[in-house]
Amino acid sequence: MMTAPVVETHALGKSFGETPVLRDVNLKLYAGRAAILIGGNGAGKSTLLRILAGLGRPTTGRVTIFGEDSLSLSHQNRRRIGMLSHQSWLYPNLTAGENLEFYATLYGVAHPEAVADRWLDRVGLLSFRRERVRAFSRGMEQRLSLARAVLAQPMLLLLDEPFAALDPDGVAIVGGMVREQVERGCAVVMTAHGPTAVEGLELEAYSVVRGRLAPYGGERRGGRLRSIPGR
Amino acid sequence: MRAMGAFAAILRKDLRLELRSGQSTVALFALSLLILVVLVFTLSPDPANRAEASAGALWVAMVFAGMLGATRALLAENENGCMRALATSPIDPAMLYAAKLAAAFIFMTVAEGAAVILVVLFFNLEFGPELLRLAPPVVLGTLGFSALATLLAAISGRTRAGDLLLPLLAVPMFVPALIAGVKASAAALSGAELSAMTRWLGVLVAFDVLFVTLGGLLFEHVIGED
Repeated sequence: MMTAPVVETHALGKSFGETPVLRDVNLKLYAGRAAILIGGNGAGKSTLLRILAGLGRPTTGRVTIFGEDSLSLSHQNRRRIGMLSHQSWLYPNLTAGENLEFYATLYGVAHPEAVADRWLDRVGLLSFRRERVRAFSRGMEQRLSLARAVLAQPMLLLLDEPFAALDPDGVAIVGGMVREQVERGCAVVMTAHGPTAVEGLELEAYSVVRGRLAPYGGERRGGRLRSIPGR
Repeated sequence: MRAMGAFAAILRKDLRLELRSGQSTVALFALSLLILVVLVFTLSPDPANRAEASAGALWVAMVFAGMLGATRALLAENENGCMRALATSPIDPAMLYAAKLAAAFIFMTVAEGAAVILVVLFFNLEFGPELLRLAPPVVLGTLGFSALATLLAAISGRTRAGDLLLPLLAVPMFVPALIAGVKASAAALSGAELSAMTRWLGVLVAFDVLFVTLGGLLFEHVIGED
């Protein structure tokens, strides 16, 4: 028996005033799969992620997440979504540990302190547990923000340019975390400006151009990315 | 149970941020002091109208300091887009509003306590048990203003002209409570009968019920989708 998709958009469109940002977007993603949306600035990638997170209302079409309309998601299903945004969603005057403990409590995670320690260790920031986020570099914030997004073990992970501002170690850590999430059955949608690969993970790749979604590289290549083309 | 845990986590976080920076409390106290110094010299109250003048000064300080306090309570959420994180979290928006309201109420109450002491000193009132009669109008007024300002600060935080919008909306809407608060406080300070206060306290209670309810119902739409 075929399971229902985690994310499904039907002829999704979004306009800001008279300006269309997304047009006729049809996307379907199942549990344990990862999709990457590739496009330049202003292509509509972030807008699509925000709509999938319930932070934006489609102008046309509709979105279902876990089988529910994205705008009327139950609290139980909200809890199953993790998001990494352009902004870190971290409190600069709280320490790294306090930030993760706060979000763990908010999401009803048991033993917030232990969970915070575990994820700090996973993103290589355990020694910075008592440091305020204000003092973090952009790359450290990005890693901590990813830990925030995954600490409640979401079943849908939305990552807006997760590899931005990361050094090679950071890229390896974040790539490994994305792969772990997919392997445990989480559906992942991420964005990037150019072709991006995650070691050991097949990505369903789409190009986003002026708000339209198409298989990356055309139908012939089937929109699959295993390694970065040209490398 | 989980909702109460989230409420406590948000309140604890706001208090921790405030204790760490001290920005809201210091700013509220400084603004109250400035307003009261100006008013005590402007009004130069004689014993006959001292109760009215001091009550008026206290509430003017409360309104202006309250606007600052409510803005500060939500400012931390706007930094780094944290309000988006709360909006996408499983917490009930009404519970989120209650937590932000509780934080604003605590910040304002601390500043109000200091403002009352300054009023007593500047207007030559006496420290005594009769001062406790000020508690009901001040607490009710602080709650009402926190409820109104928390909701409006969340709205204005999402607009470009947010700093301008908050006083433009909050002050006119607070006028009924302001009048009732001044009247009830003046009655309290002049040693009038309790019955002289109750009518005005009723107006404050109605204002509180209205805006706490409205805030709880509307907060979801204020912080929700873009």
